[in-house]
Amino acid sequence: MIDFLLEPFRYEFMQRGLLVAVLLGLSGGLLGCILVLRRLALMGDALSHSLLPGIGVAYLLFGPSLPALLLGALLAGLLTALGSGLVSRLTRIKEDAAFGSIFLVFFAAGVVLVSKLPTRIDLMHFLFGNILGVGRTDVALAGAAAGLTLTVFVVFYRSIVLETFDPIFHRATGGWGGLTHLGILALCVVNLVAALQAMGIVLSLGLFLLPAVTAYLWCDRLPTMLAVSAATAVVGSVVGIIVSYHAGLPSGATIVLSLGVCFLVSALVSPRYGVIARLLRTRREGKAVRHTAE
Amino acid sequence: MSHDIIRLQDVTVAYGRRLAVEGVTTQIHCGSLTAILGPNGAGKSTLLRAILGWMPLTRGEIRIGDSHPQHALPRLAYLPQRLDIDWDFPITVRGVVEQGRYPALGNCRRFAAADHALVERSLAEMKLTELQDRQIRTLSGGQQQRVFLARALAQGADIFLLDEPFAGLDAPATAELAAVLRSWEKQHRTVVAVIHDFALARRTFSHALLLSTRLLAAGPISEVLAPEQLKTTYPAALDD
Repeated sequence: MIDFLLEPFRYEFMQRGLLVAVLLGLSGGLLGCILVLRRLALMGDALSHSLLPGIGVAYLLFGPSLPALLLGALLAGLLTALGSGLVSRLTRIKEDAAFGSIFLVFFAAGVVLVSKLPTRIDLMHFLFGNILGVGRTDVALAGAAAGLTLTVFVVFYRSIVLETFDPIFHRATGGWGGLTHLGILALCVVNLVAALQAMGIVLSLGLFLLPAVTAYLWCDRLPTMLAVSAATAVVGSVVGIIVSYHAGLPSGATIVLSLGVCFLVSALVSPRYGVIARLLRTRREGKAVRHTAE
Repeated sequence: MSHDIIRLQDVTVAYGRRLAVEGVTTQIHCGSLTAILGPNGAGKSTLLRAILGWMPLTRGEIRIGDSHPQHALPRLAYLPQRLDIDWDFPITVRGVVEQGRYPALGNCRRFAAADHALVERSLAEMKLTELQDRQIRTLSGGQQQRVFLARALAQGADIFLLDEPFAGLDAPATAELAAVLRSWEKQHRTVVAVIHDFALARRTFSHALLLSTRLLAAGPISEVLAPEQLKTTYPAALDD
């Protein structure tokens, strides 16, 4: 049993993959909670897709240099966040539509650019991730992203709570609402970029959202929700990596699936907010009504 | 003898070219319960936001005590509309009330004994001590309003600006909130609230501003809402 669990990590590339997944699970689990509570879940999806043209442009300019590709993705993501923010503030278009429109244009531009690249393998690689491709740069980047995210959450916890729970109160009492909001989006971009190699553009957000919705089904306090979300992300990543190694499955998708199991089970059995508890409650109340009617 | 704590001089606010509030000059007495009344689109919420310092004034001036609203932030507390709150947020009653101390403490300073004491006092005054560990969705409508009033108390504010505090409350919750506001009047706290229901305003508030972009009337509520006065200022209100 122990052998079964430890066997994958005899290989250096699996150790690196595990390290990246654990680090990004920690920060993704935290950020995911804020995205879920602020109803920005789909915006996160838009952000992740908008990274593609950055990768395409960087590849055309600098060739297959990993730091250049990641920097390109980072710039594209920040540009999307900033552009959508500006469009929603300066025109009558609301933020969700602004994000939706801009990310589609960016993603299409990315597909066009990538189709011009000499090799297509890289496209699949960046869309769905490949843990075999995780190198030292990725580990360093994941470490930096996780460290930055944890630091920001510890130092600016109160601003983040106020901006998430009651942005009007936050701004009314002199808080820097706009800056907090942009800071959260920027942190998301940094973490999504760091997750590119292991998880891919399409799936990386799964590491953020699924642990957060899982925790949301169990917790009634934000600190607990953050801790449970980060822990779920870490455990789900480790399980996903082990399963993907033994079953020969793509790592990113397996991690997302193992987190998906956590989410589905929670949605069913959570004692307060699960489907089964809800059905039992309705049934009990229905019976109570019949009794009083008799 | 009470003095004027909020003074508005020719206050004008425009959205683009449309004037939402025009040329409002009036005073709000310290320790009064003042209702801002008027038809839909009369600029009631805009005026409240202007007093909070959130709306740039096209013309005129607002003074809180002796200062500009931006410099009087700790004295001002705003009660959000119920619709603006996500009641499923993973937070307890105490968690919300503690937020009242965040503006004063910033991100880095720890809660001192005095901050905890103020939170306890605010919880106790709003009769929430027993409910402090409950998630906010599990409370009744009246209790939910008291949570946000307690947060305002924990801010250490003495001027309370409420945007439609009675909207969406059932009869018991309305009575509960009205009783709290009347007890505040005795403690010389100043309350300014946007109110839709004239009858409710008449029962609960001491003063009123009747607004329809311009100020139609201001003063003790019995005078502002006297039928012979309303006949000239706002006849539609008499149909209710």
